[in-house]
Amino acid sequence: MSALLEARGIGMTFRNGDELTEVLKGVDLTLEHGELAALLGASGSGKSTLLSIVGLLLKPTAGTVSIAGQRVEGLPDLERAQFRNRRLGFIFQFHHLLPDFTAIENVAFPAAAPAGAISPAMRRRARELLARVGLADRMDFQATRLSGGQKQRVAIARALMNKPELILADEPTGSLDRVAAEQVLDLMREVNREDKATFLICTHDEQVAARCTRRVTLKDGSVEGT
Amino acid sequence: MFAFTVARRYLFSNPAQTALLISGVALGVMAFVFITALIGGLAIRLTDDVTANSAHITLEPETRIARVLPGPDAELAPVAIISTFQRRQIRAWTSTVSLLRSHPAVSAISPQISGSAFLVKGEAVSPVAVTALEPANIDAIASISTEIISGDASLGADGILIGSRLAENLGLSAGQPVLLRTDRGVERLLIVRGVFQTGLQSLDERVAYLSIQTARPLFLLPEGITNIEVKLYEPGAAREVAAFLHEATGLRATSWQQKNASLEGALDAQSQTGTLIQAFSLISVLIGIASALSLSANRRRGEIGIMRAFGVSGSFIAAVFVLQGLLIGMVGAGIGCASGFALCSWLATIAKPDGTMALPIAPREGGYVAVFLLTTIGAVLASVIPAGSAARLDPLEAIQQ
Repeated sequence: MSALLEARGIGMTFRNGDELTEVLKGVDLTLEHGELAALLGASGSGKSTLLSIVGLLLKPTAGTVSIAGQRVEGLPDLERAQFRNRRLGFIFQFHHLLPDFTAIENVAFPAAAPAGAISPAMRRRARELLARVGLADRMDFQATRLSGGQKQRVAIARALMNKPELILADEPTGSLDRVAAEQVLDLMREVNREDKATFLICTHDEQVAARCTRRVTLKDGSVEGT
Repeated sequence: MFAFTVARRYLFSNPAQTALLISGVALGVMAFVFITALIGGLAIRLTDDVTANSAHITLEPETRIARVLPGPDAELAPVAIISTFQRRQIRAWTSTVSLLRSHPAVSAISPQISGSAFLVKGEAVSPVAVTALEPANIDAIASISTEIISGDASLGADGILIGSRLAENLGLSAGQPVLLRTDRGVERLLIVRGVFQTGLQSLDERVAYLSIQTARPLFLLPEGITNIEVKLYEPGAAREVAAFLHEATGLRATSWQQKNASLEGALDAQSQTGTLIQAFSLISVLIGIASALSLSANRRRGEIGIMRAFGVSGSFIAAVFVLQGLLIGMVGAGIGCASGFALCSWLATIAKPDGTMALPIAPREGGYVAVFLLTTIGAVLASVIPAGSAARLDPLEAIQQ
């Protein structure tokens, strides 16, 4: 069985006027199905940039990216958006929930927007996901009425809505207190274990990395160790 | 449509701001309605003032042109001959009247003999424009019988109606005899049956009414008439109907607009000024919508970024903002039209001490359909710029902010 993610020779150079900044220098990264990998590195090491490239939010200046056997780095914008919607899940440091929607509507949003409406099946799945992240009693709460930890759990449920093969998390516990961070980490481990969902978690927190099954460390734009 | 749900939620998320925005649109629309109703009302009033006591179309014989017989040595130009003796007349006027009666735009017809004459009372002589008409049809063009201030409007075989200033100048009153001497050199003693007062000096001082039968021997017209005056249900259609009547009868047909070209020019200028004011009020409304939606798109960059990140298409994001523009435009225009109509209706009830309207406003002329459609379509177009910038937002950049 082939790897879920294969990134080969990824390079990324940003231009700022006449100045060129090389953030990634030929990074190779492979993730197998069901892995829970931590992407570590100091600030400026390029880990968020690598996560964005793998998440099809950024096009690399060099290298190739394959997800589930499909080359994706050169897809046009519309196909990239469709790929992200159907096959990837995102969890960010700041939840970015839609404040005018309830928890259940936020979770269903990634499925409802392309479909044009929240169908009963979507509502059912969103309800199941919210129950799974421990928010069965907060389903109809407006997003603004939830605590920080609850919002991040809603964001995790939202990331799982379309049953993605790869979930990319960028400092998912960075804005949470210790207790909430533990709950979120436990939840991601549970989803990884039970659903066989593959996680790539970008973090600089050693305690987060310690809960993962694999560590990938970036230093100065290159993989230092896996 | 899920984009509609999102648009609605965005609008309701800040009710005060949305209410303010819609109020701004409604005020602009109300200003548009007010200006349109005022200009429309003014045009109606001026048109009514001009056409109330005069014909919308006058049919007369064409001016005769001399035939030109070119000679070998001379270049001759056609010359219009205005006869000083042979009166131009409409001989087959009964068939023309039948044609007019069958025309759906025509509301009243008055065959007439018009000519010049002098009224003589002792030593006093005054020139008058004589209008001879059918006694049974006396009010067809101007409301003469309702303007009688002494005597009555019954013309009879030897009666004449004169204006109040003319009566005063000649020292005449109802029941007195007066000598009428026409430009044909024929004279007859007539009885003043009534004195009218229209308030228009030109009528009250210079016009006298006779019956057609009385006028025939006086103007040497045993059969024909000199002109036919026509009233229409819709004065604005006079130009088109006149053109048709000219084609159908061969007579010269002059519309009231042709007779009052300066008034038409003034109405056009007024209408153009109104259009300019209307355009400015609409443009200010649309700029308001565009800037409010741009601010909203900027405020929601994070949300838009996360939507784009989980694969929501740019067209969905654009639709959310265009639908907001549509809703603001429709609701604002609807409220503006309703309140504009209410304002105009109220203003139309305010009267001056003499009983006339303080403002010549016509609430029905508010241009409601036009302003509703223009505002709604304009609001959609105004939302295209913020919608486009929201749709093009780089998700990564937006999330990182």
